[in-house]
Amino acid sequence: MRRYLSLSLLLTGVGLRRILAYRSDFFVGIGAFALRVVMHALLLGVIYQYVSDIAGWTFDEALLLLGVAMLVRGLDHAFTDQLWELGRKLVQRGELVRYLVRPVHPLFSLLSERFCYPEGIGEVLAGLAVIFYAAGGLELDLGAGRIVLFGLLLLVGALVFAAVKLLLAALAFWTTTSLQVMTAVYEVADTARYPLDVFPVPIRVVLTSVIPFALTGFVPADYLLHGAGVLTWLAPVIAGVLTALALLAWSRGVRRFEAVGP
Amino acid sequence: MIEAHELSKVFKVRKMRPGLWGAVRGLVSADVEEVRALDGVSFSVPAGERTAYLGVNGAGKSTTIKALAGVLTPTSGHCRVAGRDPRADRYAHARTIGVVFGHRTQLWWDLPVEESFRILARLHDMSKEDAALNRKLFDEVLDLGEIAHRPVRTLSLGQRMRAEVAAALFHNPRVLLLDEPTIGLDLLLKEAVHELVNRVVADRGTTVLLTSHDVADITAICERVVVVDSGRDVYTGDLDDLLRQAPTRTVRLDYSGDISPESLVSHVRHYIGLVQVEIVGRRRIKVEGPPDLATPQAVLNAVSGLVTVTDLVAPEPTLGEVLRALYVRTAEPARGAR
Repeated sequence: MRRYLSLSLLLTGVGLRRILAYRSDFFVGIGAFALRVVMHALLLGVIYQYVSDIAGWTFDEALLLLGVAMLVRGLDHAFTDQLWELGRKLVQRGELVRYLVRPVHPLFSLLSERFCYPEGIGEVLAGLAVIFYAAGGLELDLGAGRIVLFGLLLLVGALVFAAVKLLLAALAFWTTTSLQVMTAVYEVADTARYPLDVFPVPIRVVLTSVIPFALTGFVPADYLLHGAGVLTWLAPVIAGVLTALALLAWSRGVRRFEAVGP
Repeated sequence: MIEAHELSKVFKVRKMRPGLWGAVRGLVSADVEEVRALDGVSFSVPAGERTAYLGVNGAGKSTTIKALAGVLTPTSGHCRVAGRDPRADRYAHARTIGVVFGHRTQLWWDLPVEESFRILARLHDMSKEDAALNRKLFDEVLDLGEIAHRPVRTLSLGQRMRAEVAAALFHNPRVLLLDEPTIGLDLLLKEAVHELVNRVVADRGTTVLLTSHDVADITAICERVVVVDSGRDVYTGDLDDLLRQAPTRTVRLDYSGDISPESLVSHVRHYIGLVQVEIVGRRRIKVEGPPDLATPQAVLNAVSGLVTVTDLVAPEPTLGEVLRALYVRTAEPARGAR
């Protein structure tokens, strides 16, 4: 464990140095996210011109949810971006072999390729900015305990994101590529930006259990705004189960991997 | 150090049916075709030996390397590297071996080369001194200095392959597996790779198993060979001994004189017997036959008094020729020459 911590530190350093080395890339990335934030916020603004609340959520609350969703997505993006490559080509072209001949866990080896990925860091920063902006217009009851638990829920949300991504990417071990499925499910992730209460019950069930993207935006934001609910306590359990499933799929997959190709 | 015992590998390949209707049928019932990549290959490489693993395309060379690297499980048989089953203890195995998979990169694609080395050093828990020593050595031999700061994805194939070989050797592995390590390199870079491998291997007594299509790699690095054909091993032994097994030798003769080429050819053929004689150029003939008949002396005797000899060449048999002959020979009495 200590070894992985120190390796993570090293890779973080590498990632940050990379940001400095490709400063223009980084700023273009941040610019793109800033544009997206502005677009989403504008859209919200337009909607709130006509209604004063959506399912009980005010504009500022909805904006905070938007920021939380971005931050969580960014956290995941910053550390697990290489999973897209697993779904896209690593199995298909047999390139996964390089992660299997290093003396660390193959999944760690895989993720090390894009550890502290600049795009993700940009997304985290953009999300943070939106949260702070939105919080300025809200009267939040912020104790230290609340902030800590909120932080933990953010991490749980990022874990959910990562687990779903790993599970889908690991499908590639059986189907050669799984990029299409990954992209399709990621469309669903956009629902994380909206209050869960706007959806009909069956969709709410799906978004909290089957593909629990509600955990990546709604649950932490709802906790910060309205206090703990059932989902607050269920979230870590759901995330844990999902992560266990994803890791199982990964290790099964690695075992059947045959390194085809030249 | 490396042992393979009756190694077999059968791949199950889904047969694609042609056309749209075929694709639809394929969804319902898949025809699975079995491809036998390895068919009971046994060989061993003693510690410190440098062995070339040869065979035609599809002979199962890459499959063997993958099994030894532990990224593929053999269908039957087993292999051991440094006394260990490659699949049993992955991390210990990964520390023991260094491997180059020809076309595939092992570096961190988006990172500068030197960051890859930094991470490798830490992954393998190398001391700072060892890591610095190797960096210096590789900079020297492979001229990595100029490419060290560039991300791997921006390197040319030649630059990347240099970095790949260096990365495989970086953690001082006891066993080095090289699958096509010089593919895509020009002559000078090939030699640089040979030099690096030879220097490191000589210093550290590394055991090497190499596959290559390039005879130069084999003769520059290896002293022993294992030859596989149709998934079976057909020859194991010294490279020099193998070369001496050439079934034919060639002698080329340049001459001056008035005799017509046709009559010279027929004269030589009658004089020596059982050899092929051909006109291969203006006043140049080629004599090819069994090593005891097609000797420079025999050719000289045959033409003496008829022409003036201006040049006489009897090239060493190439590994390619020897291998070709070996495949033909072993194809006849199946698995005869084992």
